Amino acid sequence: MRYVLRKFAQTVFVVVLVTLLTSVALRFLPGGTDVLVALKTGPGATKEQAQKVITDLGLDKPWYTQYFSWMKHFVTGDWGATLQSNTSIASAVKRALPISAYLMVYGQLLALFTAVPVAVWSAYRHNSRFDRIATTSAFGMLSLPNYIVAPVLMYFVSVQRKWIPYPSIYTSLFDDPVAHFKAFVLPSITIALPLFAGYMRLLRADMIATLQSEFITTARAKGVSTRNILFRHALRPSMFSLVTATAVNVGALMGGVVIVEQFFLLNGMGRLTVESIFSREYPSVQYAVVVLALIYVAVNFVADMAYAWIDPRVRARRAIG
Amino acid sequence: MDRPEGSREKGDRLNMSDIDVMLDDNAPVVPLIDEAAPAKVRVRKRGRVTKWLAISWMVFITVSSIGAESLPYINHSCDQFASIGECTTATHANIRLAERPPAWAGFSDSPQKGEPARFGLMGTDKNGFDLFARSLLGARTSLIIAGLAITFGLAIGTLLGMIAGYFRGWVDVVIENLTNVLLSFPALLLAIFFVTFFNDPSTAAATTRPLWPVVVSLVILSIPPLTRLVRANTIAYAQRDFVVAARSLGAKGSRVLFREILPNIVPTLLSFALTGLALLIVAEGALAFLGLSVEAPVPTWGRMIATGAGPLREGSWWISLMPAFMMFLTVLAINLLGDVLAQRFNTREAIS
Repeated sequence: MRYVLRKFAQTVFVVVLVTLLTSVALRFLPGGTDVLVALKTGPGATKEQAQKVITDLGLDKPWYTQYFSWMKHFVTGDWGATLQSNTSIASAVKRALPISAYLMVYGQLLALFTAVPVAVWSAYRHNSRFDRIATTSAFGMLSLPNYIVAPVLMYFVSVQRKWIPYPSIYTSLFDDPVAHFKAFVLPSITIALPLFAGYMRLLRADMIATLQSEFITTARAKGVSTRNILFRHALRPSMFSLVTATAVNVGALMGGVVIVEQFFLLNGMGRLTVESIFSREYPSVQYAVVVLALIYVAVNFVADMAYAWIDPRVRARRAIG
Repeated sequence: MDRPEGSREKGDRLNMSDIDVMLDDNAPVVPLIDEAAPAKVRVRKRGRVTKWLAISWMVFITVSSIGAESLPYINHSCDQFASIGECTTATHANIRLAERPPAWAGFSDSPQKGEPARFGLMGTDKNGFDLFARSLLGARTSLIIAGLAITFGLAIGTLLGMIAGYFRGWVDVVIENLTNVLLSFPALLLAIFFVTFFNDPSTAAATTRPLWPVVVSLVILSIPPLTRLVRANTIAYAQRDFVVAARSLGAKGSRVLFREILPNIVPTLLSFALTGLALLIVAEGALAFLGLSVEAPVPTWGRMIATGAGPLREGSWWISLMPAFMMFLTVLAINLLGDVLAQRFNTREAIS
């Protein structure tokens, strides 16, 4: 319990720091507040207009007041409008978030469902031909950035074979499942490839260590079947690093796959943020980035808690100190 | 997160060398580890071959990118033209040679041009530039940027990590939380943000687009994981006997840090530096893909891949896939060398 509380306090601290940094970031723009005023009102703003922009963004108040009022807006969902086109920031984020979430979930599922069996078999038949092929190709995949995988996939699947039409527009899963998956197949594979490699290597290394423990030998001696040993006895204590990596990647995938989103024309969080950065929509950047960071922090917290479920020894250790 | 290293390492080492022998001697029951003594030798040999392949690729790419203007095997874009004048009149003159597939590309199926004449090792791009030459020039950009970034990142990250890990206390808390905050933003977004921040139109950098905004962004990006790595290592070494001995002899903090602890974490740092270099090359490519790296006429892999994406849709695959291939080989080679070093020094990546 003390551990949970300490972890929680740490999480809250990071959240406060993240929101604080992003909320006051507008003050440190190169060019100062004039940039914001110029973006909002166009050239030749009157003094009143300029003043209104500054009060709307809370830049005339001291930073701590600004932080609290910004937090109030953030929590109540009153995120205001973009500077240039005057559209709602909240609705833009609401549109982008599910696309990113779908992409993240499909990529992770694809990677996990392939990596776990491959890693388990590799660890079991350690140094076999299968293992060597698997580890070598995983090593190669780690050197494949997604902007290399995406064009290769697109060329072979969409251009040469024409299996999936290239710009597959995003449609909701509930409106048209077929079109939905058509839009997500290639980007998910692109994302899953390096994930698969990472997960496979992590799990394989841990699994090899686990398979040498005495309780595995005991299970073997009792006559437990191989499948049961691998998936019921050995897998759970080997999942430690895998859970950490999966959790870290949730955050990274939500906003960090800008290039995949851009290449396959999916308007997810990454693209929203980058385009806001490019068009200097700083308030949109603030909200999008805070949402992403919060997701990251929350998922990591959950993963920390999940350790106790995976490994009772952790629970015991935490109870002691 | 900070899992004890010992167990896994010990398990691995046992299994690599001893287990098979031990089993051969006494146990008829083969446990869950495969017997693979003859296979192991083969693996080793192949490992050595790939190591030398990786080294020679890196030598090739480094030499070629340094001497790209004068080396004989690189096509200097004027060789392909009837006259020097035709070559120097900018991009439009090269249209004649635009989008030729590589000489070896027998299976090319560009639909729009029938059977175009082939050209060079890697074909030409939309402007008629030789892609092989441009890929090597792109290697120069990538290696310079990533190399500078990892050097500065290592210097700063090592310093911060050692300070945090050795002195602990409030310094440690501050540094750890700062790295946590930096790590809680998606890395690529952070880099994009910093580059645009430094290149903001209202500052002088925007008009000239120098190298340093990219380098600085990548340095900022590489500091947190390096700091974490060094911190963990420093903590481990700070409790070792020789450090305690040095301290009890009255050595000052700086002496202990730089003379006692630093030499011990250098091997770990070296193998991680190569992995970091590969990651930064990838990151630079990502920035270039989004048009955020160096200014347009200077070739970079990322932008070559990005500009090739349009022709790729019409079937001219080589324009983006050839630089992608060069980049893949380079990143792979660096990763392999990093792996070799890590095995050599028996370190494990603390941070994946």
